[in-house]
Amino acid sequence: MTTTSAPVPQTPLFRASALRRMVDAHGSRKVWVNLGLLFLLILLGVLAPILPLKNPVKPAPMATLQPPSSEHWFGTDRDGMDVFSRTIFAIRTDFALALSSVVIGIAIGVPLGAVSGYYGGIVDTVVTRATEVLQGFPQILFGMAVIAAAGNTLTNVVLIVAFYNIPVYSKMVRSVVVPMRNVEFVQAAKVAGNPPLSIVYRHIVPNALVPVFAQLPLSCAYAVQMIAGLSFIGLGVEIPRPEWGSMIQAGANYVVFGKWWPSVFPGLALFFSVWILNNVSDLLKSLVTRRA
Amino acid sequence: MLESVREWVLFLSKRLGILVISLILVSMITFAVTHFIGNPVYLLVGPRYTQQMLDNMIRDLGLDQPLWRQYFNYIKNLAQGDLGTSRYTYNPVMQDIRSRLPATLELSTFSLLLGVFWAVPAGLIAGTYRQSWFARLVDLVARGGVSMPSFWLGLLLIYVFFAELHWLPAPLGRIDRQFRDLPQVTGWYTLDALLAGNWSAFVSSVKHLILPALTLAITTSPSTLQITRNKAEEIMQSDYIRSARAFGLPNSTIRRYAFRNMLAPIITMIAMTYGYLLSGTVLVEVVFTWPGLGLYAVDAMNHSDYEPVMGVVLLSAGFYLVVYLVADILNAVIDPRVRVSS
Repeated sequence: MTTTSAPVPQTPLFRASALRRMVDAHGSRKVWVNLGLLFLLILLGVLAPILPLKNPVKPAPMATLQPPSSEHWFGTDRDGMDVFSRTIFAIRTDFALALSSVVIGIAIGVPLGAVSGYYGGIVDTVVTRATEVLQGFPQILFGMAVIAAAGNTLTNVVLIVAFYNIPVYSKMVRSVVVPMRNVEFVQAAKVAGNPPLSIVYRHIVPNALVPVFAQLPLSCAYAVQMIAGLSFIGLGVEIPRPEWGSMIQAGANYVVFGKWWPSVFPGLALFFSVWILNNVSDLLKSLVTRRA
Repeated sequence: MLESVREWVLFLSKRLGILVISLILVSMITFAVTHFIGNPVYLLVGPRYTQQMLDNMIRDLGLDQPLWRQYFNYIKNLAQGDLGTSRYTYNPVMQDIRSRLPATLELSTFSLLLGVFWAVPAGLIAGTYRQSWFARLVDLVARGGVSMPSFWLGLLLIYVFFAELHWLPAPLGRIDRQFRDLPQVTGWYTLDALLAGNWSAFVSSVKHLILPALTLAITTSPSTLQITRNKAEEIMQSDYIRSARAFGLPNSTIRRYAFRNMLAPIITMIAMTYGYLLSGTVLVEVVFTWPGLGLYAVDAMNHSDYEPVMGVVLLSAGFYLVVYLVADILNAVIDPRVRVSS
């Protein structure tokens, strides 16, 4: 088997020069625009309840499927709910679910990769093979199967997405740990009589923090897409809770009749968020590959 | 000669071994999902049941037997192609899958071809002329495609080409109603129409196919595009290409050398895309009511019908592994180092 040579970052997580190096690699416009837009998105989500928005879950049976107007900027959906307000509020739902699933994935994947990489041998082989097979599993379908078995709840959706994040992080940490097994300072720690687990956690894993951090927005982008996809086929988030995937689904049947706004606006927000998250991850990756 | 035969035998047996182990792992995972995460009895017996029904079901399914025996039975059924019975179509799941597989295969194959035919040339050009406006455009399109939710893009296309322009038919199925009794040979309506010499049926099937295929091509081709561009960039700057230029070889020869060397990763990526597409069509099938495996699984799920979902999962996972194996073999044909080193 070929083992990918690991990026071994030698810089702490945040140094005064982190921003500097991103600007050097990508140009200042790209850095500021993307970080600024991500910040704006998060800010909108956090502040949604105190912004002067219409109630996102209040139906208006007399005003269903209204086209965009000065009253309803993005129009209203089939229940007469305000699409603009729902699109903004959905940032909260989607980002919160995505972030929690990614954090769970990291919490399991990092130790798994560290241990399997450090000890090697049969544990390592089993973990590596199993993660490879898992990545070949059809994700949306497998998610459907598990949720059908375990129950259609938000927790289960989060767990499924978390589950798919585990191999991403275990692989990444493993690739940092393996080449460091026999590095001098690790051997010194060994000779000094430190127990293996403390060597892994105090001396090796910190080196994986920058790549893990750079991967985080990318995983969130993927998680948002998956959560919206699952909601689109009726798993996880249910109407009236504002969420992009279920909003697109609720409007889908009206698109053929030319009523595009209930689906197009939430989709645009989804697209935009994923785009920004991907770009930010790109920026952060320049911290990994461009070592001092 | 003998040496190379030995190499091939070793290589193939190793790869097949990996395939078998992976398939066993797949079956263990699906078994675990049905037997640990959910309770198969409740899944099968449905929402209305009596204690008597439960007891019978437990005995029938052999759930009172030890775990290894249950797993053994599970494998035995799988090996015989028995994926259970659908509670909602009343057919054996295997039969349902067989009748819906061509629709999904047709859609995913056309999407793949559509994607490859633009992504590989575009990637080659963008990688060779890195500073051009074309390279920048390609980069933008690739980023857009990756971030685009496929089901939303499908709806957009439906809005533009059906609701507004009326150029293409409503997103309902694979062909216009009047051609439904087309003789089925391959199950691919486009091919069947051609085989029957029925031109208007062919046009109708292409019109139904084009939007879902385009949707999937746009959202799945960026990975192929990116890997082609990166490889082209890397190889065009390599020492051997520079020497070839220094020797004054014609551009066409240089391009041939370069292309052969970037083929392996491109093929792997295309194979992965194809493996992904078979199940990645789910959401797009729902949007276009395309009667394939994905729509089948989603319909079954909405009827709390469990075994079809699991059947489709198993099939897609197996398909992915097999496609991956084929890509590995192709790589070994192109590059002898692959079969020696592994």
